[in-house]
Amino acid sequence: MEAFTAVSYIGAGLFGLAAIIPFWMVLAGSLTAESALSQRGYSFWPSPFSTAAYAAIFSGTRVWLAYGATLFITVVGTALAVAATSGLAWVISRGLPRLSRGLAVFSYIPMLFSGGLVPLYILVTQMLGLRNSLFAVILPIVVAPFLVFVQVSFFRGIPGEILDSARVDGAGELRIFFQIVLPLSKPVLAVIALFYAVTFWNDWFHALLFISDSNIYPLQLVLHNMISNLSMAQDLAGAGAAPLYQIRLAMTVATIGPILLAYPFAQRYFVKGLTLGATKG
Amino acid sequence: MTGTTEDTRAATPGKLKPTARAARRTPQERGPVGSRRRRGVQWRRKDYGLVILAAPAIVFFLVFAYGPMAGLVVAFQDFNINDGVFGSPWAGLSNFEFFFTSGQMNRILLNTLVLNALFLTATLGAGVLLALMLNEIRGTLLRRGLQSAVFIPYFVSPIVISIFLQAFLAGVGGRGGIVNDALNAFALPSVSWYTEPGPWPWILTIVKVWQLGGYFSVIFLAAITSIPEEVYEAGTIDGATRAQMAWRITLPLLKPTGAVLLLLGVGRIFYGDFGLIYAIVGDNGILFSTTDVIDTYVFRALRTYGDFGTTAAIGLFQSVVGFVLVMIALGVQRRYSKESSVL
Repeated sequence: MEAFTAVSYIGAGLFGLAAIIPFWMVLAGSLTAESALSQRGYSFWPSPFSTAAYAAIFSGTRVWLAYGATLFITVVGTALAVAATSGLAWVISRGLPRLSRGLAVFSYIPMLFSGGLVPLYILVTQMLGLRNSLFAVILPIVVAPFLVFVQVSFFRGIPGEILDSARVDGAGELRIFFQIVLPLSKPVLAVIALFYAVTFWNDWFHALLFISDSNIYPLQLVLHNMISNLSMAQDLAGAGAAPLYQIRLAMTVATIGPILLAYPFAQRYFVKGLTLGATKG
Repeated sequence: MTGTTEDTRAATPGKLKPTARAARRTPQERGPVGSRRRRGVQWRRKDYGLVILAAPAIVFFLVFAYGPMAGLVVAFQDFNINDGVFGSPWAGLSNFEFFFTSGQMNRILLNTLVLNALFLTATLGAGVLLALMLNEIRGTLLRRGLQSAVFIPYFVSPIVISIFLQAFLAGVGGRGGIVNDALNAFALPSVSWYTEPGPWPWILTIVKVWQLGGYFSVIFLAAITSIPEEVYEAGTIDGATRAQMAWRITLPLLKPTGAVLLLLGVGRIFYGDFGLIYAIVGDNGILFSTTDVIDTYVFRALRTYGDFGTTAAIGLFQSVVGFVLVMIALGVQRRYSKESSVL
C-alpha cells in the first residue's frame, strides 16, 4: 500500500469519527444519571444508566406540542414546496423561448440579491399578519432556487418523444405534467422533498422571529431557549425535581432523532440530488 | 394566501409571453374562442396549464423575494410601525449615516469578510481533500460507511451544533469540557473558551469544516466519478504513484466544480452565517469583538432597539455590495471558463 493511500484511510477515518462522536456523546450523556453528569461531565459510556430525562420530558406536554408544531411545519411546508418547485421547474425545463429563460433568471436573482431581515419582518408581521402562525415559518422558505435548478436538470433528461406523443393524442399541459412527467420523476421528487423536509425540520430562525406563543414553539426553538435558559428545561418536565442537564441532552436527542433514523434510507437521495446539482454547474 | 394566488394568476398571462414553439408545432390548430393573437403567436387554452404550474412559485418569489427587495425603501425612511411602509416620513440618507459613523462598522465588516473567507477556503479545501482521500478507499462497504458518516453533520441544525460545541468547550454546567480535559492531560491550563474572543474565528472555522466538509466532499466525489478511467490508466502506464495521480490528474480536473462552488460562496461572502453564529455565540457580548457579523448585528439592532431604518440601511448596503461581488466573480469566472457558468 502506498503512503498516500495509507494516509487517506487514516484521514478519512478520523474525519468520519469526528463527525459521529458528538452524536454519541450527547446520546450517552442523555442516558447518564444527572448526579454523575454534573460531577464528572460527559463520558463515552452512560454510567450510572438513567432514562429519567426521557421519562421527564415525554411525560410533560411541551415536547408533544413541539413535535406537533415541527411536524406541521415539515409536512405542510414540504408538500407546498415540492408542488411549487416542481411546477416552476417544469416550465423552465420546457425550454420555451423567452418564457423559460425569463423564469430561470427570475428564480436565479433571489440567489444573488435579497431584501434582508427588516423588509421580511415587516412583510410577515405587518402586511401578512402572520405573527404566531406556523405559516410564517413555512412561507418565507417555501421555494429554494437551488432545488428548482436541481429539478430542472432532471426534467431536461425526460425524452421529448414521450411528451410529443402525448401532445399528438391531445393531452394538455396539465395532463402531461401530472400523468406523464410526475410519475417519471419519482426519484427527483424524493430528493427535493427530503432536502426541503430537512430545511423545515431544522429551521429555527423564522420561528425565533415570528413565533412568540410557546404553545406552538417548534422543537428547534425549544432547544434554543434551553441553551440560553436552563429553567426552560424545568418547564419541559412534567412534575417534580427535574434532571436539568440531562433533560437538555435528551431534548437534543429528541430533536435530531427522527433525522438520524431517516438518514440511512434517505442518504442516497441526498447524494443523488447533490450530484444532479453539481453536474448541472 | 389563496387570494393572492388568484390575483397573480390572473395577472400573469399578460406578462408571460406566448410560446412561439407551441404555435409552430400546430400551425393549423385554431385556438379556442378566448384566444388572442399577438406578434403572430397564439395562446392555446392548453398553454394556460403552464401558467398554472408556475404560478405558485412565481407568487412566492414576488412576495417573499422581490417584495422585500422593494421593501428596502425603508432604508430611506424614518420608519414606524403605525404609518407602515407607505406612510412613514422620508429620512434621506440619515439611516446610512448612523451606521457608518457608529464606530461599529469597521469591526463588523471586517469580521464578516474575515470569517466568511476563512469558512469558504477551509470548507472547500477540506471537501476536496476529503474527496481525494475517500476516493483512495477501496472497500466498498468501508467507503460507503465513511461517506455516510462525514455527510451526517450537514443535516444537523445550528442549535444542535451549538450544544455539541458546548460539550467540547464548556462541559456540563460550564465545568470543563473535553478540550480542557485534553489540555490538562498535557499539563496545560484550562481555557475559559466562552470568555476568550481570540480563538473564536478558528473555533467557528473548525465547526464549519465539521458541518460542511462532508457535504462538499460528496459534490467533489461526484465530479471525480465522472473523470474517465483512461486518464488514470495512462497515468499508471507512465508509472505515476497514487499521490501523483491525485495531485496532478484529479485535482486539476476538479477545478471547474471548485470554481462554481467558490463563486457561489463569494456571492454570499457579505452575508454572515447568521444561523450558526447566532446559535453558538448568541448574546454573549464578550465574544462580539471577533464574531459579530453584519447579520447578527442587524438582528440584535432590530430586536433590542426596534430600529427599522438603520437595520434596513445596513441590509441594503449588504445586498448591493454582495451583488457587486457576485457580478465581479461571475465576470472573472466567465473569462476563465466558458463552460461552467452557473446559469
